[in-house]
Amino acid sequence: MEQALQAIFSATFVAAVLRVTTPILLPALGGLIAELGGVANIALEGIMLISACAGVLVSIATQSEWLGLLAGLAAGIITALVLAFFHLDLKADIILSAIAINILASGGTIFVVFLLTGDKGSTSALVSRQMPFIEIPIIKDIPLLGPILSGQNLLTYIAFIAVAGVAIFLYRMRAGIHLRAVGENPDAARSVGINVRSQQYLALALSGALAALGGVYLSMGYVKFFARDMTAGRGFIALAAIFLGGKTPLGTMIAALVFGLAEALSVQLGNLRVPNQLVQMIPYIATLIALVVYALVQRQRAIAHQRRFRQAPTP
Amino acid sequence: MQVTLPSSASSFDRAAERARVQQERRRSAIVDLVVTLSTIALALLVGFLVMLIVGKDPILAYSSLLSGPLSRSHRAGRWIEDATTLIILGLSVAIPFRARQFSLGAQGQMFIAAMIAAVIAIYLPLPPVLAILLPLVAAMLAGFVTGLLPGLIKAYLNANEIVSTLMLNAVIVLLYDFLLTNVFTPPGAQSLRSELIQPNSMLLRLSAIFGINLGRANLAVVMVAVLVLAVWVLLSRTPLGYEIRIIGANEKFARYGGINTQRTIALSFAIGGAIAAVAGVHLVLGVHQRLIPAIAAGLGFEGIVVALLARNNPLLIPITGLFYSYLRVGGDIMEQEAAVGAEIVQVIQAVIILLLTAQVLVNYAKSRHRLMRST
Amino acid sequence: MSTHAPHPTSPSATDSAAAPLVEMRGITKIYPNGVLANHEVTFAVRAGEIHALVGENGAGKSTLMKILYGMERPSAGQIFLRGKPTTIHSPHEAITQGIGMVHQNFMLVPSFTIAENIVLGTEPSRGAFVDRRAAIAAAAQLAQQYGLSVDPEARVDVVPVGMRQRVEILKALYRGADVLILDEPTAVLTPQETHELFTAIQRLIQVGKTVIFISHKLHEVMEISDRISVMRDARLVGTLDKHEANERLLAKMMVGREVFLNIEKTPAQRGPLVLKVRNLEYATETGVEVLKGVSLSVYAGEILGIAGVEGNGQTELVEVIAGLRTPLSGVIELNGKSIAGLTPRQVRQAGVAHIPEDRLTNGVALTASIQENLIVDRYTREPFTRGGLMRPAAIARNSEALIEAYAIRAPDGSLPVGALSGGNMQKVVVARELSSQPKLLIAAQPTRGVDIGATEFMHEQLVRARNAGVAILLVSADLSEVMSLSDRLAVMHAGRIVALFPSTEGLTEEEVGLYMLGTKTMSQSEIESHW
Repeated sequence: MEQALQAIFSATFVAAVLRVTTPILLPALGGLIAELGGVANIALEGIMLISACAGVLVSIATQSEWLGLLAGLAAGIITALVLAFFHLDLKADIILSAIAINILASGGTIFVVFLLTGDKGSTSALVSRQMPFIEIPIIKDIPLLGPILSGQNLLTYIAFIAVAGVAIFLYRMRAGIHLRAVGENPDAARSVGINVRSQQYLALALSGALAALGGVYLSMGYVKFFARDMTAGRGFIALAAIFLGGKTPLGTMIAALVFGLAEALSVQLGNLRVPNQLVQMIPYIATLIALVVYALVQRQRAIAHQRRFRQAPTP
Repeated sequence: MQVTLPSSASSFDRAAERARVQQERRRSAIVDLVVTLSTIALALLVGFLVMLIVGKDPILAYSSLLSGPLSRSHRAGRWIEDATTLIILGLSVAIPFRARQFSLGAQGQMFIAAMIAAVIAIYLPLPPVLAILLPLVAAMLAGFVTGLLPGLIKAYLNANEIVSTLMLNAVIVLLYDFLLTNVFTPPGAQSLRSELIQPNSMLLRLSAIFGINLGRANLAVVMVAVLVLAVWVLLSRTPLGYEIRIIGANEKFARYGGINTQRTIALSFAIGGAIAAVAGVHLVLGVHQRLIPAIAAGLGFEGIVVALLARNNPLLIPITGLFYSYLRVGGDIMEQEAAVGAEIVQVIQAVIILLLTAQVLVNYAKSRHRLMRST
Repeated sequence: MSTHAPHPTSPSATDSAAAPLVEMRGITKIYPNGVLANHEVTFAVRAGEIHALVGENGAGKSTLMKILYGMERPSAGQIFLRGKPTTIHSPHEAITQGIGMVHQNFMLVPSFTIAENIVLGTEPSRGAFVDRRAAIAAAAQLAQQYGLSVDPEARVDVVPVGMRQRVEILKALYRGADVLILDEPTAVLTPQETHELFTAIQRLIQVGKTVIFISHKLHEVMEISDRISVMRDARLVGTLDKHEANERLLAKMMVGREVFLNIEKTPAQRGPLVLKVRNLEYATETGVEVLKGVSLSVYAGEILGIAGVEGNGQTELVEVIAGLRTPLSGVIELNGKSIAGLTPRQVRQAGVAHIPEDRLTNGVALTASIQENLIVDRYTREPFTRGGLMRPAAIARNSEALIEAYAIRAPDGSLPVGALSGGNMQKVVVARELSSQPKLLIAAQPTRGVDIGATEFMHEQLVRARNAGVAILLVSADLSEVMSLSDRLAVMHAGRIVALFPSTEGLTEEEVGLYMLGTKTMSQSEIESHW
């Protein structure tokens, strides 16, 4: 137990939390933009997977992590645009099309990896590249904070910077404000000449880009290979983070950190011989409990709001 | 200034209108069929092109994909076995879908059902018939509860059902894995698997009935027939089915009309769960006759395409289930014979869902059809 | 802001020799589903006039205005602005050509501030960023210039309806609109607010704007407009100067036959007390107190009307009684038995029928069949369900009988309700609710969005039910309707009943309007004396 506590209160543990939060936070921010644009993106999972795969394959072929990143981004955006096209132009149900994209991603990535490597499991036999880890001068020498704030993967920094970026975009920039207007009242937006369709394309493309970064991080930062279904539900946990975060950038980040904490914890406890399946359940159970608790709190709050007037004297 | 005078009250010929409506209806049924078939053809074509692009021999691949399941009797058996699972899953998805609820919990429900059925069938000595009925009923109950949970959360707390069912699936799969590793696998066993279930609990294999090798296909086909009928009766002949359909059509209207929408929505999840559990029972009592790792893996979303192709009509689900499992089994055979990954079938599945949900494409096909008839 | 020189407004200066500001020539619009919405309509608006466009629902007014505002494209025809042919493919193009529109259901983003809403789409910017201070300043300046008072920094979802409408007008003016299309602007206003709006419109005319005013309410049209165009059955049947027109003539042009604007009904034969509501309180989930102790009584065989500006608790009152919302406290009794807090089904089974205000969206299920729509309140009972199974034959018989009795134009009860016209959908709702043999009928905004023909039908049915001894609670924002139909009239303001008149005889709309605005309130004892 003492061991466990020590492990948890260490700087390496906090650094680990940031590491595992990254592939939840990035797609969650993307999903948030889509959600506020009125086009819920359930396909985050599939987009991440496709980007993770594309990034690794291109980095294998070119031995350049940057081209890998670019390929991952492009693949993610294109996938999101396919979803947008089916939903916005062909009027397909967005949830069902997103499910189709997730199926396509799962099957398609395995198909391609099998085709190229003859192995259905992963690309670990081939040499792929990794995004750089960044040592920040001066900060890295600060005791305690140094190991947390410095030496993270580039994409981890980008993820947390993106929180501010997304907030500024959504609340201060024309495009973001238009996007929120479209999500909240498309008719109002349309009536003042805002192109609803292109705003929603933009929302989905941005969500694709952010989810793609999350996918690339998984296969080219968190680890250094692509494995079948390696996203392991993070795209869906990201969705949960959006709802738990009250659909704001800051709230989404906090929720993502909570999920990251749960996951890091499960790894720590796993090292201490707690059966690993039970430990792995923690983030899922945490999500479920959070989902229910959040809904209950909302409900209680509503009831409390109503009750306020019970004492009011009747005229 | 001009004022037009009253036009004569236009007459309304009910009989003629009725004839017209009925004709329109027949026509639209045919168009639906045509649209579905061309969607399938188009999806297969996409698969064909993919193979061509990646430099595989698509003709060899497709010939094993499309003729494979019927090339040997045991392969046909695999087809029947897989179709049994898929039809049950399609039925299970169709019920919440009718109420416009996206329950994605079938995966977890199958795993739960497999565990419950196996515990009874392995450890509880029971007389014939009861040895099948008891695990079945217990598993269905478990599936019911597993479905009810996210159903209640959705209906009463309005929490996103996609997130909750997926999270629940993940938890259940891990629990299954844990129990299989630490409880069900006998100590000292070579591989991860439980003991065989008792003979009384085994569903009779079709091979034993017909005297030809039909692999692991078994008497669960009878359960399928019963379920198809039961789901049809439920949806179109019972008050609960009416409630489900009306909620699917307009939830606010249902509430205004006096339907207990929360109870009905939760029930639609739960009944879907109970049916998905039958698929899990089929896997344990019929197919594997024991618990194996990942017993129902990869089946999670398969029910969706089956239900979608059948437009959630329980009477059409057997047809679409047979079709889709044919592709799945064919895909495996193709992988062996043509070295093309069976996952191409998932790609085809995704394309089918995309095309079928694309309203514009479907309507375009319909208007083209109308145009052709009118000229 | 465009600052055109004021156009001369005297009739002599705008005679037919000058080209009209807006001219739509030979406009035909056929929708993809084959509906002919406009047929060779030619419509001209002179600079500086208030031009009313009237017609029944579905006559084609909205389509014509949507074409002018670029929301629809005409199948044939041409639009001229200031004498020059032009095309308008989107609202954006309409805006750049100086046309603005205030829609009936406001086109505002609820969580945005008033300033953000006014500048939305054409924000003052610094690069890709919105200059929020400039937006607030612009909104405030504009509000002052046109005398339309708003609070630029308030969120739209917390300000009253009248202010929201002013925001809509400012939005159009901010975009430099010279021509303002107002789509049924008075539907949600009190007589006093309507008066204020008309003053504002006059002010706009004085500074050179032109207004197209769409309305149902003929007395308002007569009050405000310079010229009036009437549409019927996709055609423009005529344009009149105000001095040529009167309400009866306009009504006749709209429907092509004489209509009786007055409702004929015999004195009420008041029976025993049916509905008793006392001290009813309700607050929404977000904590807004909507009903603050409402009390009223409805007797068998009478129509109790509730007048009031929308959003003063009427919707919630109706839904609380119907069991769709749970009250915080208070008494609701039907024939002496409490129905407070019961489920909608239990309330229905106790004998309450409900024609909801949003009946075309929530009073029917569009994709379900007529048969299925007609049994939603009774499907669990015999003969529709027996032994746990539903009986298609009985369900079909029920729908055949009701289609016949209420003259619903439907070839077949198995047709989806969505295939019917709006008026016939309406009849499906009325047929179901009245055939449940209710003790109490709640009719919420029964003629909103309905043409004169359907209005007559609805009024007839209400009076007939009343004469048959049903207690009727009528909620309507249409003051003339509620005043002419009701036997007794209550006025609701800010979640309270502020007046109860034992008879509508001798009441004027202005008098009732004062109560609706909350400037006058009856004493509690006087209200109670009329319970």
